[in-house]
Amino acid sequence: MTLSLTKPRAGSEFWAEFRGHPAALTAAFVVAVIIVLAILAPLVAPQDPYDLASLVLRDARRPPGYVGMGGYTHILGTDSQGRDLFSAILYGLRISLQMGLVAGGIAFAIGALVGSTAAYVGGRFEAFVMRLIDLQLSFPAILMAFVVAALLGQGKSQLIVALTFSQYAYFVRTAHGAAAAERRKDYVEAALSIPMSGWFVVTRHILPNALPPLIVVATVQVASAISLEATLSFLGVGLPPTEPSLGMLISGGFQYLLSGRYWISIYPGAALIVLIMAINIVGDQVRDQLNPRLKK
Amino acid sequence: MTAPLLKVTDLHTHFETRAGTVKAVDGVSFHLNRGEVLGLVGESGSGKSITGFSIIGLIDKPGRITHGSITIEGRELVGLGDGLRHVRGREISMVFQDPMMTLNPVLTILDQMTMALRAHESISDADARIRCVEALRQVRIVDPEQKIDFYPHEFSGGMRQRVAIAIALLHRPKVIIADEPTTALDVSVQAEILVEVKALVAELGISLIWISHDLATVASISNRIAVMRYGKIVETGPAAEVLGAPAHPYTRMLLDALPSRSRPGQLLGLDAGDKQASEMRIAHRPVQSQSGFVTVKHAVKRFEWPTSFCSRLGTRMNLVKPRSAVLAVNDVTFSIARGEALGLVGESGSGKSTLGRMVCGIYHPTEGDIKIDGASVISTGQQGRKLTTRVQMIFQDPFASLDPRRTVGQSIAEGPVAHGLTTRAGARGYVAKWLEAVSLDPAVADRYPHQFSGGQRQRIAIARALAMRPDVIVCDEPVASLDVSIQAQILNLLLTLRNELGLTLLFISHDLSVVRHLCDRIVVMYRGRIVEEGPAESIFETPKQPYTRMLLDAIPRLASEEPVLEEA
Repeated sequence: MTLSLTKPRAGSEFWAEFRGHPAALTAAFVVAVIIVLAILAPLVAPQDPYDLASLVLRDARRPPGYVGMGGYTHILGTDSQGRDLFSAILYGLRISLQMGLVAGGIAFAIGALVGSTAAYVGGRFEAFVMRLIDLQLSFPAILMAFVVAALLGQGKSQLIVALTFSQYAYFVRTAHGAAAAERRKDYVEAALSIPMSGWFVVTRHILPNALPPLIVVATVQVASAISLEATLSFLGVGLPPTEPSLGMLISGGFQYLLSGRYWISIYPGAALIVLIMAINIVGDQVRDQLNPRLKK
Repeated sequence: MTAPLLKVTDLHTHFETRAGTVKAVDGVSFHLNRGEVLGLVGESGSGKSITGFSIIGLIDKPGRITHGSITIEGRELVGLGDGLRHVRGREISMVFQDPMMTLNPVLTILDQMTMALRAHESISDADARIRCVEALRQVRIVDPEQKIDFYPHEFSGGMRQRVAIAIALLHRPKVIIADEPTTALDVSVQAEILVEVKALVAELGISLIWISHDLATVASISNRIAVMRYGKIVETGPAAEVLGAPAHPYTRMLLDALPSRSRPGQLLGLDAGDKQASEMRIAHRPVQSQSGFVTVKHAVKRFEWPTSFCSRLGTRMNLVKPRSAVLAVNDVTFSIARGEALGLVGESGSGKSTLGRMVCGIYHPTEGDIKIDGASVISTGQQGRKLTTRVQMIFQDPFASLDPRRTVGQSIAEGPVAHGLTTRAGARGYVAKWLEAVSLDPAVADRYPHQFSGGQRQRIAIARALAMRPDVIVCDEPVASLDVSIQAQILNLLLTLRNELGLTLLFISHDLSVVRHLCDRIVVMYRGRIVEEGPAESIFETPKQPYTRMLLDAIPRLASEEPVLEEA
């Protein structure tokens, strides 16, 4: 009895297909560069925007290319407090990414578990959980996040709670849909007939098989968490001024937009757009590749 | 001799895939005379369906006919492109395997048939109706004037297939290609359709290509048979000749793999005249008779629709009709002795699978109790939990019953580890032992299910069931989705294992010949009830109930089968 060993592992096949799409590849590269820059911000940035001592108020609102009192060139200009914008953007990206990934990750974990458990248990529990999720999804995410953030006050962990709260429902619904389809499959019945425990069946059988659509939702939701965070910070209910995220940089420059000092808002805004777009393009490609119906 | 109606010469249909060229049809030549029925037999992947699709021009990209010719009455069809549309439906038409997939669920039968008519001729609504009613009458549909306005879901499977045949006949085609038309149907329905198709062919003088994996159905309908393997025809000739005196070893192997042609309990695939065969025959071990090892008492399974507050309110206000509960299993009582193999036979919807799932503790019986060696299989209460590991199950579809994201070793080991039959550290060795027991290389434990063929997966599923060291195994149609030769291997494996391990089997199947081959005793179910029960021999030789007799008569038989059975 011979076995075909020609079929490559699923992962390498996935990557091979991914490489065939230049737009997705570029986007993935951009995301990777931004992540590396954000992680290495203290090394790359010419100035530490947290270090108040290094800020010179005389250098405030200078245009790109201005050589400041500190001796270095502000390639993207400075903001209203004399901070080097390039450095501030790098540090801002760091916070934005951190918020998006942490909130997205927590929402992913909660949503996957709640959704697949609801699908597995079924009956009244399922009906109750899913109607609750429907109710929450009928409000705009920004509204939910705004209310929670306003109630909890400013701060990193408060914001993570607010973001998670506005995101987890999407994961629950997706996980529930995928898990409900898996629940009816023979291999789940086979495991139950051994008998294996419900927890084992949910975590080892149903969840891994329900993962592909969740990964797609995760890419979209991380991007949306980042923009939500920026929005909340822009509106002033997000992070405290000591944690300058991209949203706060944008809002800080907002009042100077019409007076010709465009760079204070535009550059952080551009960074935000590039990051969110790149994540979305990668997410679209992942979705297309994981959707068996689009397979040739 | 007149020129043949349809002539296929050196046909090559290839599929270009990333992994290389797949030669689905690789040099096939045959002809079809007027009024003749040609049976095209082969196992899955032999290219028999692709041959049919090539003739009617329904090969999708990346497939294409790379070489060869197909002529109908001397006209070339290959390379006709869109011109084929004038041929398709009018001169050659096709009947597919699953009528539920080929009929549009949102259109009435009349609409669909009218559409088919208007593809080739313009016809008024009134005339179309008359033609369609006539066509339905031709395929023996009772009450065609009313039935024509029905939707496909209002028909049974057999009726739907009749409608599909009626549509294929609308334009009086010269050739009909039928691709596994009875595979999805129950034996009794299949028997009816076979009789009717035979009559229609004689009456209308059409030629038929009957594609099937089942030698017996092909034998019962065809004048000539062509056997395909790996995209090539290995043998062709008059039906009686091919089946009576097969020239090619592959044909012989296919025939020998049929359980109906060998003695019950004998390992399949061995030449009947072979001396070794009688030695290889597995004698039924004297069973230490412990009757009533598995007992099912007054088991009832009712599937009820969940009644929510809104639906109850709707029912009370007469807005919604209450949906009636489905009584899948209705007061069933039987027992299995230790070491016995009990066959559970019935057509689709008879409740046999539901009963099997209750015995295995997957479904909770609505009423009654199910015990193994005196202990309940499932705890009481509607959300009952399975209490024992002594009964395990083998499922029908080996592609669905293994978790695609877990390695074979993980799938086999999870139960034994959780129930203390082995330790996490010892799992590898334990899995290897059971993989060897089902004749698989223990090294395959790290592979994923998609790397295996259907037969190999079913072996893995058997290994998973055995690894729990059960006393009883419920087999739910374990060979129904497998090719004949693979089916023979799995049946042999079950026979051997049963003997070596002293297993008690509940073997659920719609295929009576398989059941007869494997089982000591047979229970016949019909609409949730047991209609007949008894030793295999007596059920087959002297069935008492008319339903059982009807089931037995419906099995298509090979002409050459009888002498073998008499010999036994």
